[in-house]
Amino acid sequence: MSQALAEKLQAEFEGSVTDVSSREVARSTPSTQVTVRVERERIVDVLTFARDELGLKFLSDISAIDYLQMSGAERFTVIYVLRNIADGGELILKAAVPEEPAEIDSACSVYKGANWLEREVYDMFGITFLSHPNMTRILTPDEFDGHPLRKDYPVQGRGFRDRFPVISRDAS
Amino acid sequence: MEEGSLRVGIETALGDGYLTTRVDEFVNWGRKNSLWPMPFGTACCGIELMALLGPKYDVARFGAEAIRFSPRQSDLMVVAGRISIKMMPVLQRIWQQMPEPKWCVSMGACASSGGVFDTYTLVQGVDQFIPVDVYIPGCPPRPEALIDAIMEVQRVVEEDSVLRYKDTVPEAPVAEPDTTELPQVT
Repeated sequence: MSQALAEKLQAEFEGSVTDVSSREVARSTPSTQVTVRVERERIVDVLTFARDELGLKFLSDISAIDYLQMSGAERFTVIYVLRNIADGGELILKAAVPEEPAEIDSACSVYKGANWLEREVYDMFGITFLSHPNMTRILTPDEFDGHPLRKDYPVQGRGFRDRFPVISRDAS
Repeated sequence: MEEGSLRVGIETALGDGYLTTRVDEFVNWGRKNSLWPMPFGTACCGIELMALLGPKYDVARFGAEAIRFSPRQSDLMVVAGRISIKMMPVLQRIWQQMPEPKWCVSMGACASSGGVFDTYTLVQGVDQFIPVDVYIPGCPPRPEALIDAIMEVQRVVEEDSVLRYKDTVPEAPVAEPDTTELPQVT
């Protein structure tokens, strides 16, 4: 079923939608998970087609991968997981985003739920979503600096966890 | 009082119905048997804290049944759970809002040392920034371990003195007005 959705998508957007791959995943009923590569410039058109023509009305998640040290063209890949709640259909879209500029069009005009999901990806990876209504940090504190889930950010952080005033017993 | 019992001089003079003791012992007896916890449960240790407050482990036997979520009405803060970098200023503000005398128990591995989470978000031990009296190891510690910690706090209270601050003037903590602007929800 997902394969049919991917093929329809490919038929509509020749050239921009490539590399349909699928794998078996173990779920309550064994199912095939289909992943499709999308050109970053056409992501909004692809998402609109998926929502209106393919019936994938639910945006389940937006995430990203940082391919810092792995070979390949672009540093980041933004992943969109689309679901059809009525019949359980699923499709995964992947869009490659270069390091500079780390930008991609926002999906907020297509799916309202993309608002906070994109803020999370911005906070963790530093990928800016163009024409997002509120492109600010959502998980880390406001005064935080850096994008923690990038591969070049140290796990132990850069000292934010040690910078608090010390309240001694006498001063309490 | 029966024959042969020990009577301190003034009790002999005053007769039955009077007991003498030291102010410290009397005050500490009252305080240690009515430790009202301020449960600062942020994560899994909070569940074990809730188990302690239930009927099976029953912390009410220790006089601690008045679980006030208001820091101004409690005297034992139990930091139960992971404290993130966003939560630490809140924890410090709550600690400063508790009136003296107050004690702090750091419950579990995460509050004591960061636990298994050595990451950019978690404070590696709250004792770096607030004064802790008793640490409880465990992930999570069983309610019995928490009872042991409360009894340890009782021992700490016993050794306290009302003259603790006789020669020092504690700095009044400056409460800055909270001017954080809430972001608009979109």
